[in-house]
Amino acid sequence: MVRVRYDDVTKRYGNEIGAKNIDITVEDGEFAVLLGPSGCGKTTTLRCLAGLTDPTEGEIRIDGTDITARHPKNRDIAMVFQELALYPHMGVAANIGYPLKVEGVDKSTRRERVEAVAETLDIGELLDRETDELSGGQRQRVAIGRAIIRRPSVFLMDEPLASLDAKLKVEMRNEIKKLQRELDITTLYVTHDQEEAMTLGDKLIVMNDGTVQQVGTPAEVYHDPANQFVAGFIGSPSMNFLRVRRKAPGSQRVVAADDATFALSVEGLPTAVDDTDPFVLGVRPQYFSVHQSPIDGAAKAEVTVTEPMGDEQLLTVRFDGDGREIAVRAPFDVSVTRGDAIWLGVSGERAYVFDVETGARIRQTELSTDTAVPTGSRP
Amino acid sequence: MATDTKPKRGVGRALLAGVERIHETLDSYGLVPTVTNGIALLFVVWTLFPVYWMVSGSLRTRSDLLATPPKLVSTALTVGNYPELFAQRPAFYEFLFNSVVVTVGSTALAVLLGTAATYGFVNYEFPYDLGRFHLPFLVLTTRFLPPIVTVIPLYVIFDTANLLNTRLGLVLAYAAFNIPFVVWMLKGFFAELPDSIVEAAVLDGHTELGAFFKIVLPMVRPGLIAATIFTVINAWNELLFAVILTSNTEAQTLPVALATFKTAYAIQWELLTVAGTIAMAPVLLFAFLVREKLLRGFTMGAVR
Repeated sequence: MVRVRYDDVTKRYGNEIGAKNIDITVEDGEFAVLLGPSGCGKTTTLRCLAGLTDPTEGEIRIDGTDITARHPKNRDIAMVFQELALYPHMGVAANIGYPLKVEGVDKSTRRERVEAVAETLDIGELLDRETDELSGGQRQRVAIGRAIIRRPSVFLMDEPLASLDAKLKVEMRNEIKKLQRELDITTLYVTHDQEEAMTLGDKLIVMNDGTVQQVGTPAEVYHDPANQFVAGFIGSPSMNFLRVRRKAPGSQRVVAADDATFALSVEGLPTAVDDTDPFVLGVRPQYFSVHQSPIDGAAKAEVTVTEPMGDEQLLTVRFDGDGREIAVRAPFDVSVTRGDAIWLGVSGERAYVFDVETGARIRQTELSTDTAVPTGSRP
Repeated sequence: MATDTKPKRGVGRALLAGVERIHETLDSYGLVPTVTNGIALLFVVWTLFPVYWMVSGSLRTRSDLLATPPKLVSTALTVGNYPELFAQRPAFYEFLFNSVVVTVGSTALAVLLGTAATYGFVNYEFPYDLGRFHLPFLVLTTRFLPPIVTVIPLYVIFDTANLLNTRLGLVLAYAAFNIPFVVWMLKGFFAELPDSIVEAAVLDGHTELGAFFKIVLPMVRPGLIAATIFTVINAWNELLFAVILTSNTEAQTLPVALATFKTAYAIQWELLTVAGTIAMAPVLLFAFLVREKLLRGFTMGAVR
């Protein structure tokens, strides 16, 4: 039973904030993914757990034991680095078996364990090779082998797939997931790739600017984002954000906030934005309804780019009189080309409302934005 | 010559054009390899002839060596000069021993301290923001003064510290002036090591010190070997400090001994060549044994 707990961990580099007030828990055997753009503090957060970076404040506990001040070698943690960090002066078998050698495990036991791990990772025939003779995917496996051979209680990975090509990435992703399930080791995985995060993680920890924005299952962060950042970061192509206001207090119709250039009807907007104050309406590209003739409540837009993608197409469109472009995903049978007019409708259930200033989510049922604060973050 | 070379002004330009013309002319006769090899051969002769002359001299009789006109190749070789040297100058053993002790000692000290210092300079932040002084450069500034300038104050210091005419004194002096070279030769090697290698070693169960010895040092081995050879050659050849800081066989080294073969009355050429050959042999042998590593060490850090 290995439970990892960050208790209000902050890391400062001089005046720079690396990570701030990190307060997260990773349950036993859970696959947690730290996700965010580069420089968001996800790697700092991971390194604090590994002991490679000392937190400025806060405590990190593994199974209730405070390990914040413990030397990395005594934390029973293994890590796969982005650069893999294989020892170039050792062969494959020596690399995988190295943690056991340091531990003082005798040669024959070491060989057995190395062979078993190599078997699991399907690199049994590579054991006598040098590391520089390996392909990217094989080196990856060796790095993972070196990390799991000690049977650590926590397994860390810092963008381990970043240097692989797209196809290999998907393959290794599946294998890492399978391996994690088999070994049942509590895992923290850092990535900036949201697709990787969604497919791998039991739990996503979305970070930005050194703080945790939201913690939840992949479905939760996708369908129920805590704020505008999470909504925009998760999903590809990104969610569209429109700065709008109600046409009149209580009206179901929204118009562009500044110049009323387009009008859309959106049902069930939160009561918090009942007035005509501006707010941000977020709609994912695939949640627009696309019509080729005028329809009540839909906004007219002009197609500027079409990108056919097989079953569907990605349209870049511009509302009449409005310079900003938005992305729309339409079925392949909507026949449009550049310059055509289309009408876009939005269903209230599929639209998200965010505060113009803070980006905080304004929910349907809530009267104020106070409780829309993401779990695990203290703004 | 590459034709896309930037045109230079005046003499440089004319010279370049001239060289290009020569190259083209040679090329049209297919003579480029012959000429380049010829130049390389000249260089080899230029470099190796003195060595040949010394080694062959050590195997000749005095009259054969000093014959006019000089005999490039001798027919009457003898090894008699070697026992003769030790018979005439029994102290030669002591000089040899001093040289070995001073070289090995100062090299070990310089490489050990230099390596540790370089690793620190590259990987650690210094307290009180000392890093802003660019410490490796400060280390190098100790070599900015001509040695003759530093040897006088060093003499006074050694006199006070009772280090004059001791092997330990020379070991310390040589280590001090070799450390900057070690630091600057290794700096590139350490800078190239990814941080994650050491971090991986630490997570694999090493302490920082363990990771340094077991993982970092093996990875910079070519650089270490190059730095070692450089230090060995420096220490083995050094004359100025040895002449001034030592006064008898207690601590005098081979270069000092070699200088004594030339006296006001005569030069004992046949013995001098023997002594020179003996002095040269260990370094040459060492460099020959590690020649591949040496080459890698000199090119690796620099090229990347």
